[in-house]
Amino acid sequence: MQKVLLGIDKISTAVGKAFSWLIVGLTLMMTWEILSRRFLDRPHAWTFDAQMQMYGVLFMTAGAYTLAKSGHVRGDVLYGFFAPRVQATIDLVLYVFFFVPGIVALAWAGWRYAGESWSIRERSTIMLEGPPIYTFKAFIPVAGALMALQGFAEIARCVICLRTGAWPSRTEDVEEVDVDKLKEMVHVKDQDIEKLDELVVKQERGAEAPGKGGAA
Amino acid sequence: MRIRKELLFGFSLMAIIVIATAIAMPLPWKWTPGHYGLFMLSMVVVTIMLGFPTAFTLMGMGVIFTYVAFQWSSPAPVAMKQTLDLMAIRAYGVMTNDVLISIPLFVFMGYLVERAALIEKLFKSLNLAIGRIPGSLAVATLATCALFATATGIVGAVVTLMGLLAFPAMLRSRYDIKLSAGVITAGGCLGILIPPSVLLILYGATASVSVVQLYAGAFLPGIMLAGLYMAYVVLRAVLNPSLAPKPPPEETRVELPPWAEKLSSGRRRLALPTLLGALASGNSGVPRRTAAAQLALALLPLAMVALPVVAVYGAATSPVEIVDTSGLQVAGESVREALAGGVEEPPSDGVQEPPGAGAAEPPGAGAQEPPAAAAPAATGVEEPPGAEKAAPAPAAAGGENPAAGGARLATPRWFWIVAAAAVLGLALHYSIFTLERLQIFKLLLGSFFPLSALILAVLGTIIFGWATPTEAAAMGAAGGLLLAAAYRRLTLDVVKESVFLTAKTTAMVCWLFVGSAIFSAAFALLGGQEIIERWVLSLDMTPIQFMLLAQFIIFVLGWPLEWTEIIVIFMPIFLPLLGHFDIDPLFFGLLVAMNLQTAFLSPPVAMAAFYLKGVAPRHVTLNQIFAGMMPFMAIQVIALVLLYIFPGIGLWLPQVLYR
Repeated sequence: MQKVLLGIDKISTAVGKAFSWLIVGLTLMMTWEILSRRFLDRPHAWTFDAQMQMYGVLFMTAGAYTLAKSGHVRGDVLYGFFAPRVQATIDLVLYVFFFVPGIVALAWAGWRYAGESWSIRERSTIMLEGPPIYTFKAFIPVAGALMALQGFAEIARCVICLRTGAWPSRTEDVEEVDVDKLKEMVHVKDQDIEKLDELVVKQERGAEAPGKGGAA
Repeated sequence: MRIRKELLFGFSLMAIIVIATAIAMPLPWKWTPGHYGLFMLSMVVVTIMLGFPTAFTLMGMGVIFTYVAFQWSSPAPVAMKQTLDLMAIRAYGVMTNDVLISIPLFVFMGYLVERAALIEKLFKSLNLAIGRIPGSLAVATLATCALFATATGIVGAVVTLMGLLAFPAMLRSRYDIKLSAGVITAGGCLGILIPPSVLLILYGATASVSVVQLYAGAFLPGIMLAGLYMAYVVLRAVLNPSLAPKPPPEETRVELPPWAEKLSSGRRRLALPTLLGALASGNSGVPRRTAAAQLALALLPLAMVALPVVAVYGAATSPVEIVDTSGLQVAGESVREALAGGVEEPPSDGVQEPPGAGAAEPPGAGAQEPPAAAAPAATGVEEPPGAEKAAPAPAAAGGENPAAGGARLATPRWFWIVAAAAVLGLALHYSIFTLERLQIFKLLLGSFFPLSALILAVLGTIIFGWATPTEAAAMGAAGGLLLAAAYRRLTLDVVKESVFLTAKTTAMVCWLFVGSAIFSAAFALLGGQEIIERWVLSLDMTPIQFMLLAQFIIFVLGWPLEWTEIIVIFMPIFLPLLGHFDIDPLFFGLLVAMNLQTAFLSPPVAMAAFYLKGVAPRHVTLNQIFAGMMPFMAIQVIALVLLYIFPGIGLWLPQVLYR
């Protein structure tokens, strides 16, 4: 089972990571467009559609990837303090009640929405002869389906956790605040912090016995 | 024991919401659709507090209640079709939202800047630069935080990094633990408010307020808050020096390069006369080329002040009416001077720089030096140290005088005030500009100026309307790439990490937006909004009372909820009410941004505290950190009140720029 779950994670992650490179494309395209417009006096109308589509595809496909890495924002007043079994119960119930209807509706609605667009080969109306947008709209059901698949994996994880009392492991990924990496970046070692602790203790002692405190 | 307390806190908040809902609502069989809307709202808050991913809570509940709303008026299959249509349209709306598109770009810029690893240099050089003022380490920490948090916008990373860098430095200098912790946590949160911040983009997208105006509006309040923090720290350090003792001399010593050692021969010497002397005599033991290059560097501050002043003069006296940028210049200057104790900082010229160029400014490019500026200074300087203080001044002023003739407009008086201030600042600057300070200036060139140039270029292009926020965000991201490259950190790994993190953060924010789009549609369809409006209007409040109530509610919500959730769920409820009370949504947004910032510092859920605790020495307790944050929270409330009493702090700049 764990193998299947990690396999699903891998699919979501691969898709999400592949499309996440769009941010580099977006940056370069827009920079180039601004320079071209300002200094070469050569604007390109299609970039407006292009930037929208790049951004839309970027975040839609990254949804499942983010879910696979538990990156979607949660209220953290209580959750972190619950035992894994309690967490799993809450998650399981709410996945079934809210996630499933929401995502199924999204995928299904997106399927019909994109289907209509696809059948008329819809093009952008922002400019004359706009680029096609039916392919862009197709990403709604795609993202919805990826989400549903990943959601299935998450539900399975809840069940496993309910049985075993511990969350099954996930593959690691780059984190926003990776303390070890940050330590390396500013050249701080754990021993340094240890050493610092002595100073802290000293200061606290100094605070208890006033008069000695300020002496450096 | 602590865990129990946390649970108790969370559950009691939850119970309050449930009980309040139960009391406020009529009995279930008397519910109108609007009451279902309110029920949905309180259910969402409770569910979010339980800890389920917010985006899906909103999406699921939105879909279910949209269906409920539609099936009141139409048969089930039609209602289902309407629900699905709405869902698809709302999702597509987020995918084509031209405000949200700047989020991934700014986030990308932030991750790149963070990984350029210049925070260490930035902190060290700022610390050396302001070493003389009381509490210098704490002030340098705040300044570093403000700059770095502004550029990156990642609270967790900034607090962690400063916890690793500044916290040890302050403790080694025997700073008070609480004060040190407060400075780091408060400083790290400044990025929430000071633009370019994601919070303001999100508010702009929710409230349909122009992000440009929000940025222009939040700029001064952000600077004000940072200034208040610094003023507080300095005041505490003056009143009770044992809280923030002077750092030991070895921490503030500046390493001089060999040529400077030779020239100074162990004494404190002013940079300009010494270098000129070396250049003139030629037998000081230092090659002329070195002396000339260093002299060019030493004159850079002069150029940095003179160029904008001349530019402003040109703008102010040119026959065509030009937007009154002068005021901004003054503000920028005085703020900058206040930031750095009015000593070393040459007033910012970044505002006027072309976007890309500033970011990659090569340190020590002597070629850019206008030779004209150097020449009069060189001729004017003689041996007595008193004379050369004034020398740059006439040089700067003299350059402008001849241009005053012809068909130009009369020079307005404010210009002379600005010019006099600039000259005075320069004179002051050069009167203490020793060889050591030249060295510090070079360090700043390598850390402080590129980063400020990046931020000011991004903000400047937005605020002056040269580029849309999206375009400026793209330029900022490109600038981030350049910055990382300039610091030789642009490896494949760094780019990969930044790209993947950007994707995850963007997905988190934008999926939340997809969820809230369908949720707010359901809320509107059910008519929950009308009930709230009727109720609020029935209270017959004055605008001030309403404003206080709204801010108080937002503040309280900041405990259990994240700022993203508050903005996407609750702003759509507050915003329609603003019209009744004649409140500017722009102004309201600034207050909200300021207010939500306090949420990061309010225990027991203050995220900043936990990030600091994660890297602090073992014996630093969470309670100490909380205690340290309290005064800064009080300052935030004061700043909020100040902003409320003097809306001009926030609204002046947008009004000047976009009347």
